[in-house]
Amino acid sequence: MMKPIKIAMMSLTHGHTRKYYQTLRDNPKLDWVASCSEDQQSKDVYELYKTGVPCYMSAEEMFRKHPDIEAVVLASANYRHMEQVEQCAERGIHILSMKIPTFDMAEYDRMIKVVDDAGIVCQIELEMHYNPVVKRLKQLAASAEIGKIRSFQATNITLSPVWAFPWQGIPEQSYGRRVPLRVGDARFRGGALCDHPHIFDLIRHLTGSDFEFVYAEVAPNIRPDIEVEDMIMLNGKMKDGTAFLFDPSWSRMEERLKVPAAGWEVFPKRMEVNVSITGEHGTIMCDCFGPNVYHNGAPNDRYTVQYTYFDEWVGLIDEFVDCIRNNKQPLINLRWHRQTIAAMNACYQSIESGKIATVK
Amino acid sequence: MNMRIMNNKLQMLRNKYDVKDDGVILDGSILKLTGGQCVRLLPWRVERRFIELKKIIEAKTLEDVSTLRFAVMSSSESLKDLLFREFDLCEFLGASRIVRAFAVMNGDDVANILVKLADGKSCSIECSAALPAGTERLDRHEIIARRGVACDRTVDTQVPQSSIYVFGKELETHYTDTDAELFGLCELEILLVRSAMQILQTQALAVEWNAATERIEKIIDKTLQNADRQPAFFEEA
Repeated sequence: MMKPIKIAMMSLTHGHTRKYYQTLRDNPKLDWVASCSEDQQSKDVYELYKTGVPCYMSAEEMFRKHPDIEAVVLASANYRHMEQVEQCAERGIHILSMKIPTFDMAEYDRMIKVVDDAGIVCQIELEMHYNPVVKRLKQLAASAEIGKIRSFQATNITLSPVWAFPWQGIPEQSYGRRVPLRVGDARFRGGALCDHPHIFDLIRHLTGSDFEFVYAEVAPNIRPDIEVEDMIMLNGKMKDGTAFLFDPSWSRMEERLKVPAAGWEVFPKRMEVNVSITGEHGTIMCDCFGPNVYHNGAPNDRYTVQYTYFDEWVGLIDEFVDCIRNNKQPLINLRWHRQTIAAMNACYQSIESGKIATVK
Repeated sequence: MNMRIMNNKLQMLRNKYDVKDDGVILDGSILKLTGGQCVRLLPWRVERRFIELKKIIEAKTLEDVSTLRFAVMSSSESLKDLLFREFDLCEFLGASRIVRAFAVMNGDDVANILVKLADGKSCSIECSAALPAGTERLDRHEIIARRGVACDRTVDTQVPQSSIYVFGKELETHYTDTDAELFGLCELEILLVRSAMQILQTQALAVEWNAATERIEKIIDKTLQNADRQPAFFEEA
């Protein structure tokens, strides 16, 4: 049995924080030794889960008391990532980053250099690759069953997490800067689009191609009181000619809970990733998170989807461990992911200009 | 079912999760433990949809469960095998013992059954082993409470849904994959490996599952013997 990796969690402000608790405890290849919280509120929420793992109020204190930490999960807001990557890199600590390392492409390139120079693993959390339905989808798309992909539609639609994770509604913390969506629009970059990179990544894997251009439109917000976009759709073309249409909106309404819990959703299904692919010889329709079980019980007596899919974190962590111990590059590493972030940035450029935006 | 691959996967999970106890899955849903003890596997008890339904009940998302409505139709399993799963699910999800059951049959491959649990819940089981050959199993499990209804099928549908539908050169095909660690095994193989793993992780379950098996088999035999005539009664304890 290989020596367990001593791992920690940082910040605890990201919406995915709680998803790691079980797998960090269950995986015998890990020894979860510490956490540090960004603020008291996040620490209070963390304590509700009774992990038994000590939680500090600063990263410095955590690293001082646990000098043997080998790896961290950066469960933080996007605007904290660069600084935290540097903090870890200078200690030679491997990083599992949340899905948006940064939207600032100069900062992104600096991040790549910092990680390269330190010789550490930096894996980006795109957990859908460890979903069994996506595994099958990749297999089918690679087979001759429907032939070359011609057209690709995908939803990555959810409720909005801004009430529980306020940084996702603050442009500086989500997008990294306060950039108006376009002249005359009171909203700023940093909303639903920033929450939903998965389908931008998936199409690259399934087509084996990269983005050529995108064209994006924002609609009036269904939450008029937030200052970032919540309804956005886009289409565009891949370099291999594949035409695509994406919906990465926060189009599923939620109760404004401070801590995610039962009854969070107003629409029955709080999160959906559906993909339709038209190939030269056929079509695939895919629901990456279904079928499930359904109820209309407590607390709100509303028809609700209770998910049966949530093992993505197991495979994600397995890969992270394997990369650290066997000196491998993760599937979703900083270099691979750069094009995905560039495409998302191009969507904002398209909204600003009203024209198509080339992805560079 | 490929027993060799299933047992390889079981060993993979044992190694990954550092489980000391060992065993071999045999034909007929049996796990033979290293010490020689055999355990009848109850794979539905580790099936995610039933775990979630049970969680919905135990978390009081449903309040005061009254009635369970189950249906199962198959082309490849015997009536007794189908009933074994559904009767056990009555007790597993209903969290109470079966005390009475009355079956109405027409031939030896269809049965409509009313079941009573010790705590008063009623269960209905529509059971058919008469689906045309080659048809995939159809089933539905609905739980009705004073507060709320839960079901493993979505509203306004009659047949199970799949995750992926392929409209290709040949006929339409569909896939439902639920387990990334055991990807590549069929659903029943996955559930047998998972249930064997659960026994290895929690050996106390071996006694519980064997006892449930013995009791459910007796309940089925007596229910079918009494079919069309009178309810069969069972001790609660």
